[in-house]
Order: sequence, then C-alpha cells, then structure tokens
Amino acid sequence: MMSFARWMGASFMLAGLLALSGCGYNDLQGLDEDTKAAWSEVINQYQRRADLIPNLVNTVKGYAAHEKDTLEGVVQARAKATSVQITPEFLKDEAAFKRFQEAQQSLSSALGRLLALAENYPNLKADQGFRDLQSQLEGTENRITVARKRYIDKVAEFNKMVRYFPTNLTAKFLLHMDEKANFTVADEKAVTKPPEVKF
Amino acid sequence: MRLMGRAARTILVGWLWFTLLSSLPVLALDVPPLSGRVVDLAHVLPPATTAQLSETLQAHEAKTSNQVVVLIVPSLDDEPLFDFSHRVATTWKLGAKGTDNGVLLLIAIKERKIRLEVGYGLEGVLTDARSAQIIRNEIAPKFRAGDVPAGVAAGVLAVLHTIEGTYQAPERPTAFHSDGEIIANTIVAVILGLVIGLFFSRAHRVVGPVVGGGLSFFVAPWVVPALIAGAVSVGLISLISGIGPATGERRRGRSGPFDDTWFSSRHGGWGSGGLGESFGGSGGFSGGGGDFGGGGASGDW
Repeated sequence: MMSFARWMGASFMLAGLLALSGCGYNDLQGLDEDTKAAWSEVINQYQRRADLIPNLVNTVKGYAAHEKDTLEGVVQARAKATSVQITPEFLKDEAAFKRFQEAQQSLSSALGRLLALAENYPNLKADQGFRDLQSQLEGTENRITVARKRYIDKVAEFNKMVRYFPTNLTAKFLLHMDEKANFTVADEKAVTKPPEVKF
Repeated sequence: MRLMGRAARTILVGWLWFTLLSSLPVLALDVPPLSGRVVDLAHVLPPATTAQLSETLQAHEAKTSNQVVVLIVPSLDDEPLFDFSHRVATTWKLGAKGTDNGVLLLIAIKERKIRLEVGYGLEGVLTDARSAQIIRNEIAPKFRAGDVPAGVAAGVLAVLHTIEGTYQAPERPTAFHSDGEIIANTIVAVILGLVIGLFFSRAHRVVGPVVGGGLSFFVAPWVVPALIAGAVSVGLISLISGIGPATGERRRGRSGPFDDTWFSSRHGGWGSGGLGESFGGSGGFSGGGGDFGGGGASGDW
C-alpha cells in the first residue's frame, strides 16, 4: 500500500512538472529575466550618451560660447533625462515609461540642434576632439538603436506569452505578470534617427 | 491541458506568422551571401587586389582569430547605411562567438558612403573615434582621388594594424581546458576509480573493476582521457585483485569508434564557436557567431 501511495505521489509530481513546462512557467520566468537584461542594456547606452555630453558641451563652448540658448538647452535636457530612471521592476508602469521616453527624446532633439549649430563654425568642425566626440556620439546613438531593437523584440516575445493561451493563465494566476511597456512607433522614428553627422 | 495548449499555440503562432509575413513591407536589400572575405558586388576591385586582400585577411584571422570582411555594394536602395551594415554584420555573424571579434567594412558606391561596423569584442581598441579616423584619413582621401582599390586596401591595413594583438588565435581547439588540467583530472579519475573499485572487488570480482573503471570513465574530462582512465582503472584493479584482463580487453576494444566521436565532437563544438570552417582550406568560409552592438563609424567621400 505504501509503495502505491509513493507511486501515486511520484506520478503526480511528474504530471505537475509536465503541466508546468506546458504552461510556460519556465519560459515566462526566462523571458522576464531576458527583458530585464535587455532593458539594462538600453539604460546603459542612454547613460553612455549622457556621459559624453559634458565633454561635448565644453568643446563647443570653446568655439561658440555665445550660443548660450542651445548649450543651455542640452545641459537642461541632459539633467532631466538622467533624473528619469526606470528600474526593470517598473517596466510595466506605462506612465513612467512614457516619461522616460519623452525625456530621452527631448535630449535627442537638443543634441540635434547642437550638432546642427556646429555646421556654422568651421574651426569647431575641424577640431580633432570635437570630431572624436561626434563619432562617439554617433556610435552611441547606433548602440541605443540596437539595444532598443533587442528590447522591443524581447518584450514582444514576453507579451505574447502573457497573452497566449494557456500561458496567460500561468502569467496571471501563478506569477502575477503583466505585459511590459514597449517603445511606441511614433516615438521610434524620432529617437532612433541618429543626429545628422557631416564630415 | 498541455496538448490543448500546444495545439492552440501552434495555430496561433502559425496564424500570427501568416498575418505578419503578409503585412510586412518588403525589405530594401537582401543580405548578400558571404562568398569570401572580400565581397565586391559593385565590381570596383581588380581581381588581383581582391585576391591579395583576401589573403591578408585570412592570414590575419589565422594569427589573431579576428574576422575582418569587406563588402562593396553598388547601392543601398534607400536603406539607411547603419541599418544595412548592422543587418549584414549580424547575419554573417563575423568574429568568434564569445569574443565577438568581427569587423565589417561596408562601401556603398552610389551613395558614396563608408561604414566600419565593429563587433562587441573589438570596440575597446577599434573605438568609434578610431574608426572615424580610419575612414576620414585613410579611405576617403583615396576615394576622392578616384582610387577605390587603394582606399579599400589602406582602410583594411589600418583596421588590421589597430586590432592586431587584441586576440590570439588559440593554438589548439581546446578553448577552456589546458593540457595540464586534463592530465591532472584524468589522474584524479584513475585514483578515485582505483580506490572505489578495489573496495568493491572484495565483494565481487567482476563488479569491482566495472565500478572502478566506470567511475574513472565518468569523472575524467573528455571522452578519450575518460576511456584511457577507465581502461587503466579496470586493468589495475583486475591485476591487483587477480583476475584475467578479459573485461579490460573488452573496454579497451571500444576505444576505436569512441576516438572518432571524441575528435568530431570537439571539432564540431569548436566549428560552431569559431574558426573551424574558415580553416577548412577548400574555400569554405563563414562567420563564427560574433555579435555586433552598433559600434563603429560612418563617413562619406
């Protein structure tokens, strides 16, 4: 009798395990982790861009100190962008995500204005330090594009799991997972467009 | 529940794919096949230059494991330069998996654009600024003067010069096991199998060698050292506990076919992660699994 109970217990455990793998428990957990990692990379690259800005502003100041409005605009946009941070845990917060997007977007346009302004200063354009910063900035914009694309793909995968049957049941009742916020298409065009860099 | 889930998912995924594919806009440009280290689709390089550059790049890869490839296209067909070059680089998977040490030099003739796409692992030496300098100072001036072959050659040499010494090609296809480590582990496996096997051979004269040999086999790293370790343990236990080498003989006899398994599994594992195919010699060449995060620089002439 004892052995029968044991056998039953073991088969229940096995059935439970199979059901779990079928319900996407592990897949959901794995994708949740993947989206967090992808988001960290997005943040990392935006931070890298923010780190380049003080140097850039100082270099431009050396040649065009009187362009106060544009320079101020970049400094302020940077301050605002670095103050809005989202940890992976708050990715489902649509409003916070939107604020983050907007802050980064306004920094992008402020930077765009700064680089457009450089066109009027041949000495600035010829400066080796400025050229290096410009190429670093361009590379960072590209890295942001890549990081965002990878995040978008991961979130799409995750959100699909959260909505598909039967994994939606696992997500809802067992893991209490929600869809994660993704970059919106309208914003996509504005932000992923790297600032025009002329050589 | 599980079956239903599978079926529902299959149908859903299939349906989603169908709608996705039918609504997807046609991509501007296909990624060309990776036919060699210099892919000149615009036919602007004389064959001698192509051959010479390919040889230089192959020698560099053999020495450093860095994979550098040149792609020249006639036109981008309105696709943004970075989108196309990143797509090509990640499709070709230049550079080895793990070290991500690939570089793509892309030139679009009609748009007069140049791009250096740098793999994750080389971003530290071939920085964005350095890439921009190579484009600006080495390639663009020669292109402006109308000498495309010289510009490409100068750019490639500058890239190779910059990344030289970053990585060393591993001398043997053992990526993470040094010889000393393997030998030490094998010896430990033999001793362990010997002690346990001798203990068991007191109980039974066949069980002892089998247990000991089996233990050595599973503890030892890789298949061939494991076979040797297993055979040595079986032989020693049999000798010490005083029975004929019948079991030992049988085990040793199997090491022939296993030898092939060992070689091909190691070789195969390496090939997918790195240079396996590119050393093939018969012209076969492919990327090694490297990844690109958007590093590099763009320019024009």
